[in-house]
Amino acid sequence: MKKTGFLYDERYQLHLTGDYHPEMPDRLPCIYRGIQEAGLLSRLIHIKARRADMKWIEMVHDGRYIMRFEAACLSGKSMFDSPDNQVCYDTYEAALLAVGGILDVVSRVMEGDLDNAFCAVRPPGHHAEVNKAMGFCYFNNVAIAARYLQNQWGIERVGIIDFDVHHGNGTQHIFEQDSTVFYYSIHEHPSFAYPGTGREFEIGNNSGHGFTKNSPVLPGQGDDEYKRLMQKDLIPAFDEFKPEVILVSVGFDAHADDDMSDMKLSTAGFSWIMQRIVELGRQHSKGRIISVLEGGYSLERLPELAANHVEILLNA
Amino acid sequence: MFVSRSMTRKVITVDSETPVIEAQELMADNSIRHLPVVDQNQQLVGIVTDRDIRSALPYNYLKDTCSEEQREQFCALPVKDIMTKDPLAISPTYTIQDALLLIQNSKVGALPVVDDNRRLEGIISVRDLLRAFINVLGIGEPGTLLCIIVKEEVGQLKKIVDAITAENVSFGSVLVARYWEEDKRAVFIYLLTQNVAHVKKKLDSLGFTLLDPMEWYLDQLPTNESSPEKKLTIDPP
Repeated sequence: MKKTGFLYDERYQLHLTGDYHPEMPDRLPCIYRGIQEAGLLSRLIHIKARRADMKWIEMVHDGRYIMRFEAACLSGKSMFDSPDNQVCYDTYEAALLAVGGILDVVSRVMEGDLDNAFCAVRPPGHHAEVNKAMGFCYFNNVAIAARYLQNQWGIERVGIIDFDVHHGNGTQHIFEQDSTVFYYSIHEHPSFAYPGTGREFEIGNNSGHGFTKNSPVLPGQGDDEYKRLMQKDLIPAFDEFKPEVILVSVGFDAHADDDMSDMKLSTAGFSWIMQRIVELGRQHSKGRIISVLEGGYSLERLPELAANHVEILLNA
Repeated sequence: MFVSRSMTRKVITVDSETPVIEAQELMADNSIRHLPVVDQNQQLVGIVTDRDIRSALPYNYLKDTCSEEQREQFCALPVKDIMTKDPLAISPTYTIQDALLLIQNSKVGALPVVDDNRRLEGIISVRDLLRAFINVLGIGEPGTLLCIIVKEEVGQLKKIVDAITAENVSFGSVLVARYWEEDKRAVFIYLLTQNVAHVKKKLDSLGFTLLDPMEWYLDQLPTNESSPEKKLTIDPP
């Protein structure tokens, strides 16, 4: 059994998004309950959140953007940059705790206290751009973790795998000119789904050319198509890139029962994806896999999906 | 929507004595396919395309096996010998719609834009028109596209817009396309949000039909393929 960390903190529920918003605080207790009811909680190493040191956030985000975000929350605004991004007084604090918790987990993995980890954070991060909040995201958690791995821990090659049903535009844009971070995303085709990026021909620019890869999936597709695309696109790319650490943007919203997408992935399909990622980690990254929650909005499905996710990490 | 707003103003041109070989290099270096040919007064006298040049090249020139004599002959060839003389050109007050229809009907890839004295002011190409339509479609701004099938009757769009506005969601674009079923229209709404599940439910509860994304189309070949294309009677200036 692996030493698997589980970042969970009730303060992540302080970020309130108002009525009818799919990215709601209840998602996290659902995930917790699912893991608990599967009898896995006691096997995990529970990590509490801590605030992030601002210097790591500033490695990704523009200083003025960070101040703008803080001011919007503390001044009582209800949205930031777009009506999609509902904020409350505590949103800024929750976002700081999300980043800080993840960076703490990264350190523990690098020190060998943990083999791998699942970070059940809110708010999510992969749509957040350098100076713009988008799609329920404020700080790009995974991007900051990648920079932290490189600058604090001397990691040269970070691999990011994003299987949220929406393309991680923020993460892609942050690293698209960078050959030291490989960004792979599989998501619903951008002509049919938010945010409208992540086309097959987006493969990175300048020195980052060839270090971004996108697998857009057409509406209505499920397990078979995901398996085919990941085998064709992800596995050979990571076998060549050989990431020293793998960060995963975990979205459970491609599930057939999640009404945020037209995808038809089954619960077993998600397990298949995670097992392939674990194999890549074993081959190239000494098992160092840190997964970070992005989307996934079906409160009925989140418990089983989260439980299976951590079970695969425990048995990695 | 005047052409003058979307055309390329810094046009790369040649004069009629320019060797074809030089014109070819100009096109390759600038990734363009059309070179207007002008006289000393900047008046348009012709246009030369990459296709004109390719047709004029002797076959063995391409194969690198032509004789010195053939090569010299070709290098001396001026564009005036292969250009289209007095080509179709339009005025800057033509609209984008005029240009679209004219390009489709005349089957050219670009139209020089000239003033009343036929002095060159710009050029508008298929690429410029594409850019304009990428902008209109709102691609590039984050959002989600939905397609709603409505009966062809007054007031349908208002109901849709009202329902979505009540949800505090902004529109990136609205396109109404012909749906190839009688009395139906396909309304494509591009919503500047990720949060579409709620909007979809609401439209559904109002009795609207959301079309399966795999059934979407903006254009379909007419069932009667032999129907003659409508002839345009736009006179070039």
